Amino acid sequence: MSATTTIAPATAAARAEGISKFYGTGDATIAALKDVSVSLDAGMFTAIMGPSGSGKSTLLHMLAGLDRPTSGEVFLGDTQITSLNDKALTLLRRDQIGFIFQSFNLLPTMSAAENIVLPIRIAGRKPDDIWVKSIVDKLGLADRLSHRPTELSGGQQQRVAAARALASRPQIVFADEPTGALDSASGTELLGFLRKAVKELGQTVVMVTHDPTAASYADRVLFLADGHVVDEMFEPTADAVLDFMKHLGA
Amino acid sequence: MFTATLRGMLAHKVRLALTVASIALGVAFLAGTLVLTDTMRLAFDQLFGKVSAGTDAVVRAEAAYSQSEGISTSRAPIPASVLTQVRQADGVRTAEGSVSGYALLTDNSGRAVLTSGGAPTMGYSLPADPALRGDVKLLTGAAPSGAHQVAIDATSAEEHHIALGSTIKVLFRGPTQEFTVVGTVGFGGEKNLGGTTGAYFDSATAQQVLGAPGLFDSISVSADPGVAPADLAQKINTVLPDGAEAVTGATVVKESADAVNKDLKVVTVMFMIFAGIALFVGSFIIWNTFTMTITQRSREIALLRAIGATRRQVNRSLVLEALLLGLVASAVGIGLGLLVAKGLNLLMGAVGFSLPSTSMQVEPRTIVVSLLVGTVVTVLAALVPAHRATKVLPVEALREAVPGAGNPTKKRVISGAVVTVIGLTGLFMTLYADLSMKLFGPSLLAIIVGVLMLLPAAARPLASLIGVPLRMRGLPGELARQNAMRNPRRTSSTAAALMVGLTLVVSMGVFASSLKASFGDIIGDSTNAALFVTPSSSQGPGFSPEAIKAVQGVSGVDKVSASGWGQARFNGADSSYSAVDPATATAGLNLRLSAGSVSDLGTTGIVVAQSAATTHGWKVGDSIGTEFAETGKHTMKIVGIYDSKGWISDDFVISIAAQTAAAGPQLINSGLVTLLPGADRSTVQKAITAALADHPDAKVLDRKGFEKEAGGFIDKLLTFVTVMLLLAVIIALLGIVNTLVLSVFERTRELGLLRAVGMTRAQVRAMVRWESVVISLIGALSGAALGIGLGLALSQALADEGIKAISIPGLQVALYVVLAAVAGVLAAVGPARSAAKVDVLKAVVAD
Ligand SMILES: Nc1ncnc2c1ncn2[C@@H]1O[C@H](COP(=O)(O)OP(=O)(O)OP(=O)(O)O)[C@@H](O)[C@H]1O
Ligand SMILES: [Mg+2]
Repeated sequence: MSATTTIAPATAAARAEGISKFYGTGDATIAALKDVSVSLDAGMFTAIMGPSGSGKSTLLHMLAGLDRPTSGEVFLGDTQITSLNDKALTLLRRDQIGFIFQSFNLLPTMSAAENIVLPIRIAGRKPDDIWVKSIVDKLGLADRLSHRPTELSGGQQQRVAAARALASRPQIVFADEPTGALDSASGTELLGFLRKAVKELGQTVVMVTHDPTAASYADRVLFLADGHVVDEMFEPTADAVLDFMKHLGA
Repeated sequence: MFTATLRGMLAHKVRLALTVASIALGVAFLAGTLVLTDTMRLAFDQLFGKVSAGTDAVVRAEAAYSQSEGISTSRAPIPASVLTQVRQADGVRTAEGSVSGYALLTDNSGRAVLTSGGAPTMGYSLPADPALRGDVKLLTGAAPSGAHQVAIDATSAEEHHIALGSTIKVLFRGPTQEFTVVGTVGFGGEKNLGGTTGAYFDSATAQQVLGAPGLFDSISVSADPGVAPADLAQKINTVLPDGAEAVTGATVVKESADAVNKDLKVVTVMFMIFAGIALFVGSFIIWNTFTMTITQRSREIALLRAIGATRRQVNRSLVLEALLLGLVASAVGIGLGLLVAKGLNLLMGAVGFSLPSTSMQVEPRTIVVSLLVGTVVTVLAALVPAHRATKVLPVEALREAVPGAGNPTKKRVISGAVVTVIGLTGLFMTLYADLSMKLFGPSLLAIIVGVLMLLPAAARPLASLIGVPLRMRGLPGELARQNAMRNPRRTSSTAAALMVGLTLVVSMGVFASSLKASFGDIIGDSTNAALFVTPSSSQGPGFSPEAIKAVQGVSGVDKVSASGWGQARFNGADSSYSAVDPATATAGLNLRLSAGSVSDLGTTGIVVAQSAATTHGWKVGDSIGTEFAETGKHTMKIVGIYDSKGWISDDFVISIAAQTAAAGPQLINSGLVTLLPGADRSTVQKAITAALADHPDAKVLDRKGFEKEAGGFIDKLLTFVTVMLLLAVIIALLGIVNTLVLSVFERTRELGLLRAVGMTRAQVRAMVRWESVVISLIGALSGAALGIGLGLALSQALADEGIKAISIPGLQVALYVVLAAVAGVLAAVGPARSAAKVDVLKAVVAD
């Protein structure tokens, strides 16, 4: 298997075309991504794996419009986002993309409920209460809504972040090691929810992870090494992923 | 530890610059004040020293006590016969009598040559012997000789185009006379004597027009070669009659200089108060900076502690940081101080207090004091935060700390409330019960301190309230409100600086406005006058009684109540008094005597104010011991007690005849004109104006005009005070910038998160801007409220002096608040920009 995934624009929620990312200049230049092309299908749960420093986070940031590639193009749906200006890109993140970060997902001054509808409020819109309530119920957060982040456990905080990511019905949700700081029970809960969001709500989710078990919740796993997409696997199991990772030398 | 300190300081350049600026401005004010007053003092010293150079000894009447008024002690004159005795004394080379007194020059068209800021207009005898003239030099023409010649100061000649040979009128206490200008006079390098005007006559003429024939103010003596001044004075003393004394020229110079220093001290103290306010406000910013720095560095500090730094090392490193900061900032402040001194000098000139000047004097004392004060204030302000830093536990290095949102402790709220209540109680007791007025100031101070202590507790509700309209501005507005509320201590100490500044500005505004509003009532209550004769220059020393005589002759005028002013000791205490003419006083003045009668004043009677009578238990018929510098002790009998202070605000009123007898002839300060029945006021005013054409030292105003002139003066003073306080407000705004910069730095991850989930740069900027507006409005509104309260208290405290009307300049206060909000927007420009530039990935990439 090689990195020649066929590009299918019609069903791709996001895709990268030949993107490279270099950090630094001169001798100190680091190539975090080297001519990577990927297509992420709508309605699919994709995991990105690879050894530390292989460029997973970098790829995710490029796809999510948090940073710009040195060369190449990124599309979100049919929109080429690489040349958008900061304002357009910001509005795109606000309206079309959901985020779950590894930590520090929430504003400490706001309650869980306020954090969940943050992007919608930033846009100056009214949240869809029924929709938000259904997500909150699915995540079991109903009795935690008035709490401040400091009054929530790490798992609860990540669930609030997940609720926020889905609240505005984004085209795609990006998650960078969302379970990285959680114990396995909390992690399992969150992954279960993401899986459900894909299966039941048709949400597109892209997740970077180190954990083969987490990857096994996905429909497809992309393997990165040294700034390249080196392989992929569909319907992964934890054991298969683990084997492959060992093979990669991570 | 030391290099760590240095590196830590340099790592945050903006914070460093802002903190340095806030201390430096306060120090600059202090240094500027010292430089300016030193400069003025030297300028005066040089002036006196030069003017009396060459005079080895001075013979004069002994003063009963040294009552300083202006630059010299008031003394009785000495008879001319003493001069003959002095000339015969051993060691005397030459001796001449000298006379000085009121003399107002007029220009070629008869207009008065007025001075700015009420500097004296003087006449002098010019010694015949050039050696006795000191640095008084004829610049052009010749020395005056005879009854019709005068030499005038070069500035008056130049500015008013008075050429040699022209004939001008000179006004005196007595009748106006015409003189031919034969020379111009300079003083060392100066063309005038510290902003005064001077007219020089020969000795006999001077006696005639300035004093009295046969009398001298003093006798100047120069010694034979080889005779020391001290010996000379001693030798002369042996031949002098009782009541006269001989002192060295140097003694006289020193006395003058001391008197000036005493006057300058008032100016110095006033400036020092403003400098103190600026430093006080600056200390809030230092406090804030250190508190925030320490919160931000708590992980770093905890790490240091974890690897073995002791509490004391941590504390010492922070105090060292404060010390360095204080030293650097004070040094910068001293440099700025020179500019401030220049600025203050200009400002004083602009409001009419022009002062002599020489090159800027930076004494070592200025540098030492400024460095010391600036550094001590900085270190003091940093002590508590530094102490708090030592309480950071080593384990906190491992914890993800959310920047602290400490609520004020209950203890602090309670003690703040207690201090405020004590202050309020004291205030009401001084105003409405008979607690001593001495406690009025401390009570106000207690209220300000109490409110400052309470502000942290009030900051959250205030921010919440002020932020209500922000909700309409969407999430950035709401976040701004929450950010202002999240750390009430920080918000309050940032706002406190602005509050202090505004409290003072607004209270002065309220006071001045009440004063102006009361003015009409004061005049209406305490006088029956239709027209007012006043000095031509509003702060002038007075005018000649001749002007009163001229007004009395105008048709339609019923009576003119003249009043004068002076200083003496009553019952052992220095006090000012008013002098009135018993024959006309009751016509213009409405003294409301509760007992006795003004017409009984004579030359030994005195009328006292009700308040003073109550304090001392005086009643009509009692005697009061008085003492005049010129003539010593007298006993005066109380002939009346008056109730209505206003036009006359002194505790004591004597007759002009008594004043002349005890202190020599003096100028008149005002004349209250009453009209004959049926006379038309404006017609009479025109006629008086015409009659005063020959008396340009006085002018006539109707009541409106008089109120306007007084109001104009109050406005000038108010502007002066406001400009001085503006510095404190500017420092307070720097504090807001500082706090915002630090908050933005502290909230980098939050800002990154907000940007990641879709907040635009414009929204981020708006958020910081609104937070700034909320903080400045907390300061402005609480300052305005407190200022109005204090202004009213101040007006109430002076109700006895006639401030009966209460007036709040609402528009002006509203303007200040709006300006504060605008300033808040401006203060946020930089911080908002850096907040908008925060890298989105900062939040995402965990460190
Ligand atoms: N801001 C940056 N400046 C310089 N180099 C960077 C920067 N961000 C990432 N890199 C480098 O780019 C490469 C890819 O980093 P990236 O964070 O994408 O790796 P990763 O696969 O997410 O690793 P991990 O599993 O440890 O999170 C690494 O070599 C990293 O050092
Ligand atoms: Mg990563």
